Amino acid sequence: MWKRATKRSAIVMSILLLLIVSVLIGCRSSEEVDKQPGESNDESLTSLSYFTINNRPDSLKNYNEMAAYKKLEEITGVKVDFKHPASAESTQQFNLMMAAGDLPDVIEWGWSGVAGGPEKYIKEKKIVKLNDYIDKHAPNLKKVLDENPEWKKMIMTDDGSIYSFPFLRQDEVNMTFFGPVLRKDWLEKLGLEMPETIDDWHTVLTAFKEKDPNGNGKADEIPLLINKDNFTFNAFVGAWGITNGFYQVDGKVEYGPIQPQYKEYLTLMNDWYEEGLIDHEYIATDSKLQDAKVTNNQLGAFIGYTGSSIMRYMQLMADKNSDFSLTGATYPVHKEGEVPPFNQAEKAYNGIGAAITTSNENIEETVKWLDYKYGEEGHMLFNFGIEGESYELVEDYPTYTEKIIKNPEGVSMSDALAKYVPAGWSGPFVQAKAYAEQYTSMPEQQESIKNWKKGSNERAMPIVTPTQEDSTEYASIMNDVGTYKSEMINKFITGEEPLSKFDEFAETIKAMGIDRALEIQQAALERYNKR
Amino acid sequence: METLRTETRETKSPALSTNETYWKRLAKDLIRNKYIYIMLLPVVIYYLVFHYGPMYGVQIAFKNYNTTEGIWASPWIGFNHFVEFFNSFYFWRLIKNTFLINFYELIFAFPAPIILALLLNEIRKMWFKRVVQTISYLPHFISIVVVVGMLVDFTTIDGLINAILVSFGFEPISFFQQADWFRTVYIGSGIWQGIGWGSIIYLAAMANINPALYEAAKIDGAGRFKQVLHITIPGIAPIIIILLILQMGSMLSVGFEKIILMYNPMTYETADVISTYVYRKGILEASFSFSAAVGLFNAVINFTLLILANRISRRVSETSLW
Amino acid sequence: MKLVYGKGNSTMKMKQRLGEKTFDFVNTLFMLTLILVTLYPFLYVLFASVSDPGLLAKNRGILFAPVGFSLRAYELVLNNAMIIIGYANTLFYVIVGTAINIFLTSLGAYALSRRNVMLKKPIMMMLVFTMFFSGGLVPTYLLINDLGMMDTRWALIIPSAMSVWNLIIMRTSFQGIPESLEEAAKLDGANDFTILFRIILPLSLPVLAVMVLFYGVGHWNSYFNAMIYLRDRDLFPLQLILREILITNSTDNFITGVAGGDRYPIGETVKYATIIVATLPILFLYPFLQKYFVKGFMIGSIKE
Repeated sequence: MWKRATKRSAIVMSILLLLIVSVLIGCRSSEEVDKQPGESNDESLTSLSYFTINNRPDSLKNYNEMAAYKKLEEITGVKVDFKHPASAESTQQFNLMMAAGDLPDVIEWGWSGVAGGPEKYIKEKKIVKLNDYIDKHAPNLKKVLDENPEWKKMIMTDDGSIYSFPFLRQDEVNMTFFGPVLRKDWLEKLGLEMPETIDDWHTVLTAFKEKDPNGNGKADEIPLLINKDNFTFNAFVGAWGITNGFYQVDGKVEYGPIQPQYKEYLTLMNDWYEEGLIDHEYIATDSKLQDAKVTNNQLGAFIGYTGSSIMRYMQLMADKNSDFSLTGATYPVHKEGEVPPFNQAEKAYNGIGAAITTSNENIEETVKWLDYKYGEEGHMLFNFGIEGESYELVEDYPTYTEKIIKNPEGVSMSDALAKYVPAGWSGPFVQAKAYAEQYTSMPEQQESIKNWKKGSNERAMPIVTPTQEDSTEYASIMNDVGTYKSEMINKFITGEEPLSKFDEFAETIKAMGIDRALEIQQAALERYNKR
Repeated sequence: METLRTETRETKSPALSTNETYWKRLAKDLIRNKYIYIMLLPVVIYYLVFHYGPMYGVQIAFKNYNTTEGIWASPWIGFNHFVEFFNSFYFWRLIKNTFLINFYELIFAFPAPIILALLLNEIRKMWFKRVVQTISYLPHFISIVVVVGMLVDFTTIDGLINAILVSFGFEPISFFQQADWFRTVYIGSGIWQGIGWGSIIYLAAMANINPALYEAAKIDGAGRFKQVLHITIPGIAPIIIILLILQMGSMLSVGFEKIILMYNPMTYETADVISTYVYRKGILEASFSFSAAVGLFNAVINFTLLILANRISRRVSETSLW
Repeated sequence: MKLVYGKGNSTMKMKQRLGEKTFDFVNTLFMLTLILVTLYPFLYVLFASVSDPGLLAKNRGILFAPVGFSLRAYELVLNNAMIIIGYANTLFYVIVGTAINIFLTSLGAYALSRRNVMLKKPIMMMLVFTMFFSGGLVPTYLLINDLGMMDTRWALIIPSAMSVWNLIIMRTSFQGIPESLEEAAKLDGANDFTILFRIILPLSLPVLAVMVLFYGVGHWNSYFNAMIYLRDRDLFPLQLILREILITNSTDNFITGVAGGDRYPIGETVKYATIIVATLPILFLYPFLQKYFVKGFMIGSIKE
């Protein structure tokens, strides 16, 4: 009896030892297996792990639910295992993933915002330099790039590396989609003009607050909501000819938040906040709460998109409130008739693309798989979905069906389309002109695009990348500055920190090494201009 | 805790009388106690790998670590990371925040369970005492995620706490957006969650006080208040001192688990402590070497404080950890 | 303890008695407040979770009963794949993790409770040192990464395989077991494994229960390691899912298909329902566990 128990204990013990030893050995062997990028085996591709933000978690649990990806799986036989980070902390998850080294096969990401730039990850052997692969195995993308040399310039780093299968926009119509949005019906009801200057805005917002435009007898209107993340956006600060980040003046790079004009901008925002013109809950307001505020007839103005805001809200409200109408205003200026220094007209490439990691064991086949979307069939599949279901060809023009445009179940076009294709946001493919034309067919949308496009935008920075040597230093400076900036801006706006402290704030940013970061950006801009 | 002390002293001299060399005796011991050593093997391996392994890895604080070269091969750079940290904008703020949170905890959160235990001890209806105890332990078992989740919800502008404030005629406060409120919310919720559980140890100590002492005091005409002052409090004093030493020894460490859930850029000014900074810098921004240096600095300070607190206590009150 | 009042009738005694009465009253009042403050948050969450989402959004604030009645939130929560996966994963981590904890801790506690083991003292010192000094977060993180445990279930189990504190509690308890029992077994030819598993452990059920409770609750409640070591959502424990829902406020996964303006109110009740669903097991087990942990605390910390 004693012996049996002993034996059992001994067995458990040895299993445990084995476990520890094997873990230890496992770590070593994984180092040895570390393969060379460029090598690949001939086996056909059957599955891929694919990291990407789920842009529409309210419509899709997973990109595999999207008709385009379902069809792609049928065609190519490749099962994609999508890894969607939680939306609120996708950047954290991306950084963690890149630092740890155990990478998925493909990463679709906004590479322009990555601290240190994509070149850093190529150097660290995290992602693969794709130039040769594209030449040999991606005929479709190669053709697209050959036909559009300026696109090729945009998607490369200064060293000439191509790091991703880029999201490209076919036409100017596709490149403007974001800006200040107002309740047009409220403007009309109160007999107000569309605001152009900052003063106009003040008048309009005050009227929204005081004159009960929703007519419920309660002063529950919220004149303006600028979502916390959108304070990094150029609408109001742009009136001073600066931005919330880097910009250029005649080829010289400047940093907005340390400029004296930035203090004036913050003073204005603080005044508006104190006057109750800016939503006092703006920091805690996410997209759900914003939806609720819009559909409750409370919100007067906000920062939004052509499709997922203007069209979606108008379709949602069509039954409840037939007057409901939204429109986009020009980017505000100081004096009547001034040309806005900044507008929203993006470049064909905005930095989003799908990169292949060094953990990928079948790079060639993955390249071919990604290249499919840049060919004729793939282009149609990812912009328009399934023929006969989500679109028909009318005289060679791909036209979305009723099911998408006027969904019988009352789903907005933006939501209906999301079930078929990622064209409504982004992905590794060329976004079609025909998509944008139909997606922005409402007169309100057309008007918004026209307004948002106004502006010179000559001070905007192109997507530049620091060199490999500078990238770590740049990242370290900008991480410190970024944390401090986001901490302080909101405090200045909400008045928790008096604006008299602004000079201290600018000094602190300088002490964190912004001058060095400016140097790095300057050099990067010069390299970009020489490309 | 008491046991820690007895432990290290108890085993001081196992049969030193023999003239055999240490290694011979050890070899004999290994054979004689082979099963004991087999049992200890996984335990020792675990501690070597998972606790001493990181201590080996801490050398990256003096190196320029990068993932491709690994811990050993990365180049040495001396104290650069430490100097960078001492000169950084965040240094004094982190020290201040870490210290202040601990300081307020010492003043408010530390005595709270002692007071509760003293009050519970005065309840004469046993069933009522038991009910209060049972309920007060409960929050300890709720996960920190849920506790902070409830806090976040209750402290919104139209949430529960503000509704109560408004009903008393106060202005609503957005607690999670205001740096001034962070410490109050952090410590207050800490007391809510920990007061009951923390009192167990003192109640247990009180139960061990010799009842004869109380009888004697009563004969001397001491009221309940005097009994508490002269018998109960001295009775639990050793345990208070031990816990106090531990608290003092961690004056510069605050657990990040709760703060990470609670803070946001708006409250960094008061909420950002050394450990959360290490987490952000090291894990999120992948500045491994720099954050390892910050972490090491913190660990050394803590260790020193603990030794100091212990020494002072040993001299003053003859109670100590070792 | 019984308080025997003095027999004298002096006014001083009277005053004393009056003072004591007042004290008892205030004390009782204080305890009742404590009960209210402790329990009300849970009641509030319970009421809110079964309230009608639309009505609740309009009448937030102090609740004494649900506003309207709707189980919609529970429907969404209980049908949500992530909650179910999270639950299953947490059960795995709690069961496997606690089993390994208990096994290793009892081995260590037994071995270090024996007399005449030469290396006992250095080993004990080696363990105790880790309580006061550690390599820190980042080196630990890199170690887990180098061991290839990143994004595996082991990352949540092996690195926290035992705690010195619990080992000391258990060892103290083992030391209290009379040696005569072991002597008898030894004469029968039993070795240390047999003594541990056949004699010591069966005699130490209370302390084992406490260990199960401490380790188990620890596994149930932990989120941080999962947050930094796991990326694969299929491995996420419940607490990490809760964190997304409660702290970063992303209830999107629950309300896929809910129309725009309704997403916010339903999202709110979903949060409350999740809290209830996630805390229920602990609340349910609590009365059964309660008698053990007080005992465990005493074994562990006060040995006189």
